[in-house]
Amino acid sequence: MKKTPTVGEILQAKGVSRRGFLKYCATTASILALPPSMIPRIAEAIENARRPSVIWLSFQECTGCTESLTRSASPTVEGLIFDAISLDYHHTLQAAAGDQAEAARHAAMEENDGSYLVLVDGSIPLANPGYSTIAGISNVEMLKETVAGAAAVVAIGSCAAFGGIPGADPNPTGAVSVMDLVTDKPVINVPGCPPIPMVMTAVLTQFLTFGQLPELDKHGRPLAFYGQTIHDRCYRRPFYEQGKFAETFDDKGAKAGWCLYKLGCKGPTTYNACATAKWNNGTSFPIEAGHPCLGCSEPNFWDGGGFYEPLSTGHFDSGEKLAGAAAAGVALGVVAAAAGRRRQAKFTKE
Amino acid sequence: MDLLEFAKGPALQVAAYILVAGTIWRLVGIILLKEKADYSEPRQSAGLMAALKVIYTRSFSAKPFHRATMYPKMMAYVMHIGLFAVVFLFVPHIMFFEGFLGFDWPGLPNSVIFFLGVAAVVSGVALLVRRVTNPVLRLISNFDDYFSWLVTMLPFVTGLLIPVRMGVRYETLLAIHILSVVLLMIWLPFGKLGHTFLVFVTRGTTGMVFERRGAKT
Amino acid sequence: MTTQQEAQAPAFPFHGNVKPLLNEVLHAVDRLLATGEATTIDLAGLPFGPGELEHLEATLGTGELSAKLDALGVSRIRETAFPGVWWLEHRNAHDEVVGRYLEITRTPEILSSQDADIIAGRAHLEDQIE
Repeated sequence: MKKTPTVGEILQAKGVSRRGFLKYCATTASILALPPSMIPRIAEAIENARRPSVIWLSFQECTGCTESLTRSASPTVEGLIFDAISLDYHHTLQAAAGDQAEAARHAAMEENDGSYLVLVDGSIPLANPGYSTIAGISNVEMLKETVAGAAAVVAIGSCAAFGGIPGADPNPTGAVSVMDLVTDKPVINVPGCPPIPMVMTAVLTQFLTFGQLPELDKHGRPLAFYGQTIHDRCYRRPFYEQGKFAETFDDKGAKAGWCLYKLGCKGPTTYNACATAKWNNGTSFPIEAGHPCLGCSEPNFWDGGGFYEPLSTGHFDSGEKLAGAAAAGVALGVVAAAAGRRRQAKFTKE
Repeated sequence: MDLLEFAKGPALQVAAYILVAGTIWRLVGIILLKEKADYSEPRQSAGLMAALKVIYTRSFSAKPFHRATMYPKMMAYVMHIGLFAVVFLFVPHIMFFEGFLGFDWPGLPNSVIFFLGVAAVVSGVALLVRRVTNPVLRLISNFDDYFSWLVTMLPFVTGLLIPVRMGVRYETLLAIHILSVVLLMIWLPFGKLGHTFLVFVTRGTTGMVFERRGAKT
Repeated sequence: MTTQQEAQAPAFPFHGNVKPLLNEVLHAVDRLLATGEATTIDLAGLPFGPGELEHLEATLGTGELSAKLDALGVSRIRETAFPGVWWLEHRNAHDEVVGRYLEITRTPEILSSQDADIIAGRAHLEDQIE
C-alpha cells in the first residue's frame, strides 16, 4: 500500500505556520462542536493523521449537496480538508469521464482497500435499475461494488439518507436510501436538503482527525449536529412560550420576528444544527429569514404534512367514515332506546 | 410507521370514530326513552328558562351542604378550569382544532398553561386522596370512578412532561401524550366521563321537572 | 489616564443570550484572578438572535491593545474594554469569518511565538547570516 503523507506534513509542505495550524485546529474544534479544551488533542491527531481516500458516488440527486459543500462558505479550512483528503472520484468535480473515470475509481478502491471512505448523495432506484446509471452501471450495482472495500459510508443529504424527494409518494422509481442497501458497513447519515456544509465537512474532519466515526442517533445521524431540535435552539423560542405567533407572512407578528409555529414550522420535530450553525457562513437560517422550518433533515419530510400546516393540526382522514360513525351511533342509540323502552313498559302500567 | 405517526394517524382516527359513535349512541339512547307522563297539575310553567336556571344554580352547592362540600367543589372547579384552559387555550391545541374547524382563537402564554395544568393535576390528586380516605366515598366508588380519574389525569401528566422532557425525546413524549388522549376519547362516552356531554342535559331536565312541580330550584 | 473606548451598553435585547454570556465572562475573570486559569468561550454554536452578537461586541468594546495575525487569512486579536477579556476573530483567505472566541487570559496563546516556528525561523536566520 502506498505510504500517504500525514496531514501535518501536507500542511507544513504548504508553508502553514504553527500559528496558522493552531487557528486551523481551533476552527476544527468549532466545526466538530468540541470545546476549546480539545484543541491540543485535535492538533496532535491531525498532525499524525494520514490522508484518506474518498470516493464520492452521485445517484438520484439534484447535485444540491455538492453545490452546498463546494460553493458556499468554503472557508480555507474546508478547502484544506479537501486538499488534505484525496478525492479520487466525484462526477461533478472531476475532470475525467467515462472509462477513465471508472478506472480511477477502481484504482483508488484497490490501493486503499479497507480504508477508503465512500460518500453517497442521491437515492438509489430499485424499481428499474435503468432509471439511474453511470457509465452503463446501475446505481445499485455501483454502490454494492464500491462499498465492498470501504471503511465506512457517508450518506450525504436527505435523498441518500432517507430516500428524499425521489422517495416521496408515489415513489415512481422505487427509490431507497443507502442504509436500506448497505447493512455490513458503518453508515453515517448527514441529512438535510441540503445539509449544512459545515456539518458535511465536520464528519469528514472527524474521520480525518480521530480516525473514527462520530456518535450517531437512532437515524444514524451524528449527534453533535443532529442531537438538538431546531425548536430547542431557536432564538424565537421565547415568542413561542409567550404565545406570540405570526399568523400570516406579512403581519405585525411576522415583521416583529414572532414564532412561526402557526405558519407550519416543523422546528419541534426537526433535528439539525440550523439554529446555531446557521447557513451561508453563519448569516441566517430559514426561520430567521421569516420562513418556517420544513423539517428537511427528517425522514419522509416531503410526505410529513403540509409545509404550511401547523405540526399539531388535526384532520379526519375521511369525513364519510366519521358520518358513518355518527350513523352507527344513531342506530345503536335507537336499539338501546328500544330496549330501554321495553324495560320501562314492564315497570309502568299505563 | 413510528409511534408518533401511529398516534397521530390511525390511533387518533379510530378514537374519533369511537368517540362520535359512542356519544351519539348514548345521547340518542337517552333522548328516545319514554318520558314518564306527569299527570299532576303543573304548579308553574317550566320551559327552557327553568332548565337554564337549574344549570346555573346546581353549579353551587345548596347552603346546608356548604360545609361538607366546599372543599371537593373547589378542587373540582380548579381541575375543570385547568382542563378547559389547557385543552382550549394552549396554542398547539388550538391549531389542532383549527384543522377541522377552519378558524382559531387567541391562546394563553405557555407558562400560564403549564401552571394551570399543574394545578389541575394537584387538585385531581387531592380529589383522589379524598375519595380513597373518605369512608363513604370509598364504599360507593367503583371501577368507573377510578378508571375515569386515571384516564383524565394521564393526558395532563403526559402533556406536562413534554416541556419537562427529562432526557426523553420530544417525539416519544408527544406520541405517549396523544395516545393518552386517544384512551380518554375511547372511554369518554361510556362511563361517568359521559357527563361531559350529559351534565347540562340532565341538569336542565331536572330543572324543568322540578320547576313544573313547583320545587325550589 | 489610559485611553479606552467606553462600551455602549443599551438595554439587553430580547433574546437574552448576552447577559448570561457576560456573567460567564465575569466568572471566568474571577477564576483568572484567583488561580490564573484561562477560559476560552466559543461564540459559534450559540443561538444568537439578530443583532445580539453585535450588541455583545459593542458591550465588550475595544481596549488598548489589538493585533493582526496573517495566517491562512487574517485574524484579529484584541483586548476588549475589560482587561483580561480578549476578542478573537479568525477569517479565511476569502475574508469569511471562520471562528469567534472570547479568551479570558493574560495573553492569548496564539499571540505567543510558537516553538515549531521559532525552530524553523532559526534555520532561516542561520542561512541569512552565511
